Amino acid sequence: MSWDSFIYFALSSVAFFTLGAVFAWKGRKKWIIYSSTLIGLLILGGFIIDMWIFLERPPLRTMGETRLWYSFFLPLVGIITYARWKYKWILCFSTLLSFVFICVNLFKPEIHNKTLMPALQSPWFPPHVIVYMFAYAILGAVTILAIYLLWMKKKEIQEKEMEMCDNLVSVGLAFMTLGMLFGALWAKEAWGHYWTWDPKETWAAITWFSYLFYIHYRRGYPSKRQVPLYFLLLSFVFLQICWWGINYLPAAIGSSIHTYN
Amino acid sequence: MLIEAIKSRNLAFGLLFGAGIVLIGLFLQLTVGAIEWTFITYPINICLVSLFLILLVTGYIFRARIRFVRWMGRYPAAISALAWVIFLTLILGFTKQIPDDQSEKGIWGISHMLSFWPFLLVYCWLASILGLVVLSHLFPFRWRHLPFICNHLGLFIAMVSAALGNADVKQLTMNVHVGQSEWRGLDKDGIVHDLPLKICLKKFSIDEYPPKLTIVSNKTGEILLGEKTQSLSLGKSITQGTLFQWKIQVNNVIQTAAPVQLADSINYIKWSFSGATDAAYVKATNSVTKVHREGWVSCGSFLFPYQILLLDSISSIVMPGREPKRYSSEVEIFTQSGKKVNAEIEVNKPFKIDGWKIYQYGYDEEKGRWSDSSIFQFVYDPWLPFVYAGIYLMMAGAVCMFVIPEKRKEERI
Repeated sequence: MSWDSFIYFALSSVAFFTLGAVFAWKGRKKWIIYSSTLIGLLILGGFIIDMWIFLERPPLRTMGETRLWYSFFLPLVGIITYARWKYKWILCFSTLLSFVFICVNLFKPEIHNKTLMPALQSPWFPPHVIVYMFAYAILGAVTILAIYLLWMKKKEIQEKEMEMCDNLVSVGLAFMTLGMLFGALWAKEAWGHYWTWDPKETWAAITWFSYLFYIHYRRGYPSKRQVPLYFLLLSFVFLQICWWGINYLPAAIGSSIHTYN
Repeated sequence: MLIEAIKSRNLAFGLLFGAGIVLIGLFLQLTVGAIEWTFITYPINICLVSLFLILLVTGYIFRARIRFVRWMGRYPAAISALAWVIFLTLILGFTKQIPDDQSEKGIWGISHMLSFWPFLLVYCWLASILGLVVLSHLFPFRWRHLPFICNHLGLFIAMVSAALGNADVKQLTMNVHVGQSEWRGLDKDGIVHDLPLKICLKKFSIDEYPPKLTIVSNKTGEILLGEKTQSLSLGKSITQGTLFQWKIQVNNVIQTAAPVQLADSINYIKWSFSGATDAAYVKATNSVTKVHREGWVSCGSFLFPYQILLLDSISSIVMPGREPKRYSSEVEIFTQSGKKVNAEIEVNKPFKIDGWKIYQYGYDEEKGRWSDSSIFQFVYDPWLPFVYAGIYLMMAGAVCMFVIPEKRKEERI
């Protein structure tokens, strides 16, 4: 299976995600919400596994491939968050965001090269990227929550909602920490050093410290709502620079060994 | 407002304190000059780390008398230190860094951020806070503090040992020819060092991905994008496909070929010696104009030039150089202690012996698959166990982090 058949898998899984999201919004028939999201995930997951077999390597190298994982993890994080906190809007947002990433892959697929350079052939590769993409998905979800709380919610922000942000950031940051440390251990095996302040690593550190700032600020000043939420948005901007922005950043062009496109 | 901030020791005070640290750093930068990390080798780094720990412990013991130490253990200090760390790391992220061997330093030194005093001092401030909060959570010890201790102590150990151990790291590269032995390595300044190891390269092998065909612009040499496929792999089964309006059929692929000049064209024949190239006989038909072209295409080697097939005035079929899939070296290693070990070293699979890690670093790329030499990198990092201890502690802490939110909820219920 190659990218040629992606459109069928993508659209059918989005259809199932949408069905789940609509029922969650209306607050009806829980079994439909869970089963249709699950079917959507199975379809998209099936495509990823098939790509893995077709490419004879984990599909984690190009930007298009990482976007594929991201569009898979968003509904997964959405349904876990829904199961845990029963926020009826979360599935709508995660579906919408997943759809956006699927559309980017449909309309602007990047070079889906079959080759994998020797430095990337390592058992550390799948856990490093998958854990990172999962963290990005959770932090994407919390960014949406922050936007909702800052600008879309008419009533005052409740403590319960801030706690949800805190919990999501904790989990996202935990995964991000693991992803970063897996990366350090892998770098030692592949390149000889665990941390070299390469632009990608520098931006990973900025993103990591930035979410740490949020966590400490929330604990130090629990009554403040706006400042930490704005900081969440800023942290997500740093995350985007780390993920793909450094490919366009003048300071990083030509000096990062982390760009593979 | 300034006095108020100082009195209350709030966030504004923390941010001002950070600004003070940065100013001191700038003063040092302008007077002493950039930090010379090369001086901080053993035993100076051991002395520095001991001094740092003694200061932290003494400060902690007398915390009841020193208001500043108590403040360092509170949230405003941690938050402002993080804010300054983010700010200075952002400067690092936005500034093109110049390698150390280039002398140009600039007035402020931000193009050598890692030797920039304010950067170091702000990270020292963060490390001090980490040290103090770890001490306050270690004594008295409570099991519920374990995740906190793992996270903060892990980062403390990893950061301090990585920074102070940096100058003790030795990184040398070595180029060895097949059948020869070598014990000298070059550092990044090109200075030769004797190693306590001798390497004899018995065999170097390389696997490559199958050759590919692609269509490039005659004018720019850039790949012309087709709707779906950008290149055609001449792997196991593919003998035909479509590339940018052209239907391609490949009749004959020779993986070890040599060109033979005929009267008006070039033919490729099988030739299995060092320097042989890949060649494919390609038939191409334009799906719009129905123009037909055929001929040999080759990626060339260090011995033979490449061969392209001109399609029309705008495009040609080319075979890019083959990409390496895996390369490895079979070596025999002799140590000063009299050990003799056989090993296979490849990318991502370094070999560890007597405190050194030996990496497969490269090969003679000009010769490609016919390379008869291998490049190794030797790395010696005596502080690595400490950094790894820090990393493992942080990993344990991270695992605890996604267990804790659940716990807090349970406590509330």
